[in-house]
Amino acid sequence: MRALMMVVLLMVAACSAPTQHVPIRLSAELVSPTDITLRWQGRDPAAAGHVIEFATEPQGRYTILGFLPPEQTTYTHPDLIPRTAFYYRLRPYYGAASAPVDVTLGGGPYPEPAAGWSQPRTLSGTPEGTRPAGRAGAAPASLSATVTRADGIAFRWADTTGDEEGFLLENRPAGRPDFRVVAALDPDVNAFGLVTLPEEGRAAYRVRAVRYGPPSNVVHRTTGGDPLPDVPKEETP
Amino acid sequence: MRLLTIGAATIGLLLPALPASADPVESGPWTSYSPTFTVQERGCGDVSDLTFTLSCSDDSGDQRAERRYATYSSGTRQFEGYFKITSLEGSRISLKQTFKTTGAYFMLAVERGGRLYAVNGGSTIATGATVGTTVRVNTVHVVGSTHRTYINGSLKHTTSSQSGDFYDKFGAYRTGSGEGPATVQWSDIRFWRK
Repeated sequence: MRALMMVVLLMVAACSAPTQHVPIRLSAELVSPTDITLRWQGRDPAAAGHVIEFATEPQGRYTILGFLPPEQTTYTHPDLIPRTAFYYRLRPYYGAASAPVDVTLGGGPYPEPAAGWSQPRTLSGTPEGTRPAGRAGAAPASLSATVTRADGIAFRWADTTGDEEGFLLENRPAGRPDFRVVAALDPDVNAFGLVTLPEEGRAAYRVRAVRYGPPSNVVHRTTGGDPLPDVPKEETP
Repeated sequence: MRLLTIGAATIGLLLPALPASADPVESGPWTSYSPTFTVQERGCGDVSDLTFTLSCSDDSGDQRAERRYATYSSGTRQFEGYFKITSLEGSRISLKQTFKTTGAYFMLAVERGGRLYAVNGGSTIATGATVGTTVRVNTVHVVGSTHRTYINGSLKHTTSSQSGDFYDKFGAYRTGSGEGPATVQWSDIRFWRK
C-alpha cells in the first residue's frame, strides 16, 4: 500500500511541474578582456528554449539577454563594461505553442483601430484556462490575427492554461528558418497588438504559454580592460 | 478625443531617488547619491510613479512624460535603470536623456521593433528592446570628457562631452519625428558619482 501511494505521489509530482531531466552545467570564459563566452551542457528535451540572464551582483538583479532555441549551447556577451563582475545563469522554459497563423500585410486602407488595440490585455468575458502550462498539448488555442493598419496586427487567443508565467508571441518572417520571440506578455493576457518591422510584411505568428524551469548554476567572470578615461580633457573653443 | 498640448504641467515632487544599494559598474570608487527630481507631464503624457505613458498618436507638439533630475556640472556620474516597453504603437520615442542645459546632448530612443538609437546622429545603439522584456541601461558621464552608454552590460555608444551643466531624464518623450502611443515602465533607478 505504501509503495502504491509512493508511486501515485511521484506521478502527481511529475505532472504538476516541469522537471529538468538533465541538469544544465553552465561555464564562462573570458575570451578577451571585455568579452565573455558562455557554454552549457545538459538539456531537457521537453524545454521549448532557454533564457540566458546576467547580473553584476551575485544576488541579481538578473536581466534576460535573449530567448535561445533549445539546441543552442553557446552565447557570447560582447563589449562588456570594464573591470566589472558579471554573473550568468541559464533557465529553461516550457510550453507548447499555438498553431501558427500566416499574416500578409499591405493593402488597406484600414478603419481606425479602437484605442488601446496594441495594449496587452485580458479580454473581458473570456474563460480562464485551467490546464497546467508547460505540458504537451497545453497550448493557447484559437489564435487569430487581424491586420489593423499597414504595419499593425491585433492578436487574440484563448488562454487554456491556469498557471502560466507569461506568454511569448513569436514570429517567423518569410525566408527565415526559425521562429523568434517578438513580445513577452504577462500571465492571463489574451489580446495584444504588434507594430511590425519592414521585413515582417509576410510572417507566421504563434503564441506560447510558458513556465520557467530552475536556473542553472551561476557562473561569474570579472572583466579586465584599460581603465576608462575620467579626467576631463581640454576643451577646444 | 486626442489631447492637445496643454503646456507645462510640471509637478514639483522633489522626491529623492531610490536608495542605492547595488554596486555600480566600471572602476570606482563610487559614491551613491539621490538627486531630487520633478515630474514633467505635457500634452498626452502621463506619469504614474515609474510608468510613463504617451496616450496619443500626435506627431507634433510637446508630448512628454518624464522625470527630470537635478542638474550637475562636474565629476563623473553614473545612472542605472531598467526599462520595459509594455506597448509601442508609435515609434521614435525617447526613453533616456542626458541633457545639457543649453540643449539636447544625448538621447536614447526606441523605434518600432525595439531598435534603440541615439537621436543625435541616428546611430543604432542596440536591438532587442522587445515589448515586454526588461532592458538595463547604465550611462557613465565624465563631464568635460566623455559619455558612455551600456545596454545590458555591453558598451553601445560613446560620445565626447563638453563642460557645462547637465541633468538626467527618463520616461517617454516624443522626438521630433516620433509619435505615440507608448507605455514604458522604469524600475530600480540608481545614481552614483565620483
